[in-house]
Amino acid sequence: MRRYLKVLALVGALALVAAACGGDDGGETGATGTGATGATGELQQGGTLEIAQLADLYAAFDPQKEYSAVTWEYYRCCLLRTLLSYNGKTTAEGGADLQPDIATAMPEVSADGLTYTFTLKSGINYGDPFGDVSVISGDIVRALEREADPDASVGGYNFYYGVIDGFSDFGDGKADSIAGLETPDDSTLVVTLTEPVGYLPYLFAMAATAPIPPNGDAPLGAAEGHSTDYGRFLVATGPYQFLGAENLDFSLPADEQTPVEGYKVGRSVQMVRNPNYDPATDGLRPAYADAINVTIGGDNNDLYNKVQAGELDWVVDGIVPPQVLRAYSTDPTLQPLLHINPSDASRYVSFNLAMPPFDDVHIRKAFNLALDKEGMRTLRGGESVGEIAGHIMVNSLEDNILADYDPYATPNSAGDVTAAQAEIAQSKYDTDGDGVCDAPECSNILAVTDEEDPYPDQAALIAQNMEPLGLTFDVKNFDRGTMYTKCNAPEDQVPVCFGPSWGKDFPDGVTFGLALFDSSSIFPGCCNYSLVGASSDLLKKDGYAVTTVPSVDDQIKTANQETGDARFQAWADLDTTLMEQVVPWAPYLFDNAVDITSSRIVNYSFDQFAGVAAFDAFAIAPDAQ
Amino acid sequence: MGRYLIRRTLFMILVLFIVSVITFIIFVKLPASDPARRAVGRSTSPENVEAARHAFGLDQPLYVQYGRFAKGLIPWPGLFLNEDVYYSYANFVPVKEEIFSRLPVTITLAVGAATLWLLIGIPIGIISAVRRGSIWDRAAMVFALIGVSAPVFWLAYLFLYVFWFKLGWAPPSGIPIGTSVGEAVFQGVFILPWIVLSMTFAAFYARMVRGNLIETMGEDYIRTARAKGLSEKRVIYRHGLRAALTPVVTMFGLDLAVLLGGAFITETVFNLPGVGQYAVRSIFANDFPSVMGVTLFGAFFIALANLVVDVAYAFLDPRVRYT
Repeated sequence: MRRYLKVLALVGALALVAAACGGDDGGETGATGTGATGATGELQQGGTLEIAQLADLYAAFDPQKEYSAVTWEYYRCCLLRTLLSYNGKTTAEGGADLQPDIATAMPEVSADGLTYTFTLKSGINYGDPFGDVSVISGDIVRALEREADPDASVGGYNFYYGVIDGFSDFGDGKADSIAGLETPDDSTLVVTLTEPVGYLPYLFAMAATAPIPPNGDAPLGAAEGHSTDYGRFLVATGPYQFLGAENLDFSLPADEQTPVEGYKVGRSVQMVRNPNYDPATDGLRPAYADAINVTIGGDNNDLYNKVQAGELDWVVDGIVPPQVLRAYSTDPTLQPLLHINPSDASRYVSFNLAMPPFDDVHIRKAFNLALDKEGMRTLRGGESVGEIAGHIMVNSLEDNILADYDPYATPNSAGDVTAAQAEIAQSKYDTDGDGVCDAPECSNILAVTDEEDPYPDQAALIAQNMEPLGLTFDVKNFDRGTMYTKCNAPEDQVPVCFGPSWGKDFPDGVTFGLALFDSSSIFPGCCNYSLVGASSDLLKKDGYAVTTVPSVDDQIKTANQETGDARFQAWADLDTTLMEQVVPWAPYLFDNAVDITSSRIVNYSFDQFAGVAAFDAFAIAPDAQ
Repeated sequence: MGRYLIRRTLFMILVLFIVSVITFIIFVKLPASDPARRAVGRSTSPENVEAARHAFGLDQPLYVQYGRFAKGLIPWPGLFLNEDVYYSYANFVPVKEEIFSRLPVTITLAVGAATLWLLIGIPIGIISAVRRGSIWDRAAMVFALIGVSAPVFWLAYLFLYVFWFKLGWAPPSGIPIGTSVGEAVFQGVFILPWIVLSMTFAAFYARMVRGNLIETMGEDYIRTARAKGLSEKRVIYRHGLRAALTPVVTMFGLDLAVLLGGAFITETVFNLPGVGQYAVRSIFANDFPSVMGVTLFGAFFIALANLVVDVAYAFLDPRVRYT
């Protein structure tokens, strides 16, 4: 009897193993003959795009709150038009260049750089239920007034718009309107700034400035009364609108209105064609699919199984499992369905310039020289996941001026202990000049990192790389949010952070330069973890023995006022200064976005602005529609 | 019985109060990040953080903050999880709206799995008890061992991979967009989740029924029934099983109530938009009102189930009377 049971159990186990290890015949995994990208002339409109995303929307589609690149792509591709926008393509294809969208052309700029004048196109109407209402300049002012409201813009990026004259006063309730926004007529918007900044046009490509339709006398139009949930009542201007938008009833008091059917918070998004959208007014969005269905949630591996099986066309925010990436990289029939593009995000180790031993520039330089960047990349998944970073800002923000620049280059990017030790020998913490850091400050250095894979493994590699230099670490792992909080808090006196990363908000160097290295971005601001430009008062207040640290505030201010090619050069010069003189970081990777698409998809485009695939550019094979 | 019910209802409110205090303390004491800072995103000014803190009422003293949530403890329409306090910090959707919109999925999952585990577990337990020592008994106990030992998430991933991805016998995870819960049931979306969720319980109930029935069948009154000439089938099902199932009823009520609070792992792995999935997301987002709301909701169901089961016990067992 016992033997019979054993045999039964063995047979059952073998059956399960056989089913699991059987050939890949559980679903469609091969590519069709059409390939992933076809000439525009071959692509047809039609079909429903079926996609999934793991994480919920950041702020439930409220454009004044949303601070997520994924949601920005929903807006750009599909739901909201802005004065300026992007073509949803890579940098090489002009994807980082601003284009007129609602505006007829790029703005006219006054000689002093303080006044920008936009002229609006005519004939751009809203989606349902405002299909007979055209967009006018006052609608954009309405959006900015909502952005100035601290309650309506919680979690958003209203700090960017503080350069508009009167924006802050309006937000503080000190004025009835934003003085720096004028609408001489329905097709003209004049923006006056408090200081000249070269990035102003980018701000009018952000969804926070997308027009909000009027609704009676309500100051905020259709958004009136929806300070926390406007995303569920969003009125479109793009080629798509939420399913059921025609049933929105803004004549009712806000708390009696029923949210749109096509957006179920935390569960799904359904977008259909906006019947009031005129493609003749828009040269940026091909909008091939007739409808776009997005399911929210699920398991990463399961979602990619669905893509392979043809149940899904794409996963918005997933990480392609290593075995799937391997299969798609090596199988010629699957390679057309694999898409790898730079996502304009940087991964790095940040040093606290006021904490020993990283208050010594030679230590920071030695760290850069010793770091095995190739090993760091391998731990993240290998070549596909990104390009070795030789400097701080991603190349697209500098027009590739520094594409080949790496002042700490080492053979195969594997680190160079000899060169690093030569740098250590110049440090005050190497008391005998033998290339090994022997001061007490070099031992057991507190290091903070992310607790999720592969950061702990990367921390171990860093420790191994730095040991020959005499640098040892006490590594503490935290959840991501807590890690960033600790890196950002000067009073915590964290010498080094192993786990940060940073992506641009829009394709301009200000989103790296100002946000990461200006003294205004030190806590309680964010995210100058290195304390570049920290004042002596701040250092003293937070208990630092160091009284001065390098500053690049002036260089940032100068760069910020430049325009055109001079602006790219100015950011490149700042990058060079940071890498060679300040050395606040050891950058090691410029991230890639890695996607696989189903065999139904015959066109794929990567939107360099948002750093995700352009939803509107997905074309479905005619026989799969 | 009336006085007993009133006492138990008041006790239920006390339980909810204790649960809410413990939950609140956990959130204010654990070194998780500041919800206001999380809400305002990565680049922020102190003014934005303070605006968020004020909007969420986080600038109030702790006892005032708790007091705002305490009103939502009372299980009464209009008061329970009131919308002016219990809304998500992440997306501002009222917690009650989320829970009740997700409840049909959770109920479907829980009731279906419960039905399955009763249909599987009780017969296996009976057969195992009646044919104690036989191959059926041993097979049943192997099943019970596997069912109790195999983690739910492991079973879920294994079943999805084998029965959907490889064999194509079951539909993929998730409810298709535009499909109602009822339609999803008929499309078979819940089959794998039911099986996965019921396996652990079926195994446990099989063991419990087996043990109870073996013990009951050794009682004097069972010997008497046999001596009176009753058929073995009648002895087992009419006399033995009734006593053996009484504790099962108790457990069933509690288990079902726990599931109605959300089968966290099953809903997450199978991407079923139920209360459990909502709870998991809220926990990872450190979304305090949502977590508090789901916790109180689950506690309410369990407390209610306890009450229902205890009252049912009085009807099942004539020896039990409440005053």
